[in-house]
Amino acid sequence: MSDSIQLLLFQLGARVFAARAENVRRIAGPSLERPEDGVESALGDPWDPRRGLVVEVAGEERTLLVDGVLGLKAVPDSDFQALPAFARDVLPTAALAGFAMLDEVATLVIDLPTLLREGKGAALAPSEETPRHA
Amino acid sequence: MARQERGSAGPDPASKGPVPGAAELDIWYFGVRLGEGRYAFLAPLVTEVVRLGPLTRLPAAPTFLPGVFTHRGEILPVLDLSELLLRRAVSLGPGVRAAIVHAEPWRVAVVADEMEGLLHVPRRRVGPPPAGHAVRDFLQAVVPDDLGDIAVIDLPRLVAAARARSAPA
Repeated sequence: MSDSIQLLLFQLGARVFAARAENVRRIAGPSLERPEDGVESALGDPWDPRRGLVVEVAGEERTLLVDGVLGLKAVPDSDFQALPAFARDVLPTAALAGFAMLDEVATLVIDLPTLLREGKGAALAPSEETPRHA
Repeated sequence: MARQERGSAGPDPASKGPVPGAAELDIWYFGVRLGEGRYAFLAPLVTEVVRLGPLTRLPAAPTFLPGVFTHRGEILPVLDLSELLLRRAVSLGPGVRAAIVHAEPWRVAVVADEMEGLLHVPRRRVGPPPAGHAVRDFLQAVVPDDLGDIAVIDLPRLVAAARARSAPA
């Protein structure tokens, strides 16, 4: 029997993401006491932030505001794939850990501590100029 | 010049090597259309042509990387050749095909406005790249045929340049 990963599924904007459940200290909300504590991230902004994923980063708690938490799902290790090398090399964020195949859909698995450590700065891609003069 | 395949899901280009005995005389390219322009790259880079499956978009990705898709259990990054060369994105609707290429050290799925497929070109028809071409820095050669010139691009160099431009500092 293969090992499995426990994933927490959440919605942020129009998309569903997954994260290792062990990285989430608790789920805040529905009425966040201090929504201003939410950290902006490379994933973009929630439409209607009703929940917060509280994560420990360097000994402090940081919160990713999300639209909703969809639940937990255990997936076998074999259903997890790392980010393709080329994608990893060109993305400005290191927080996209890979993909979990959920009902045959490749769902992005987010490294929440890295995401919240980076903040929104990682969403600003470096040059996207056409590399015709490289 | 013989065109082996145009617009179909396509054979495995890697299995369609040069005819024995003609290797020294001919070159096999893989042709694509970007807008009105015709482009090609070396056919041995292409391992297969497939229909693009559902795309998973990546947050914060550069515009030439519209997402990834799953092919036979492997997750492949999709590279928009038109966005890279012409800054005009390919429309990724149903039925769009992708050429899976191995541009050392990466494996990527290249999309274009249209796949022309394998082009069999006598070596004597391959000309030097003209000065002043829009994609001159990645141009290896030009091949004229009945429909006009085909710009032959150095795909591995283009992919490496895209990676270098976008890599986080």
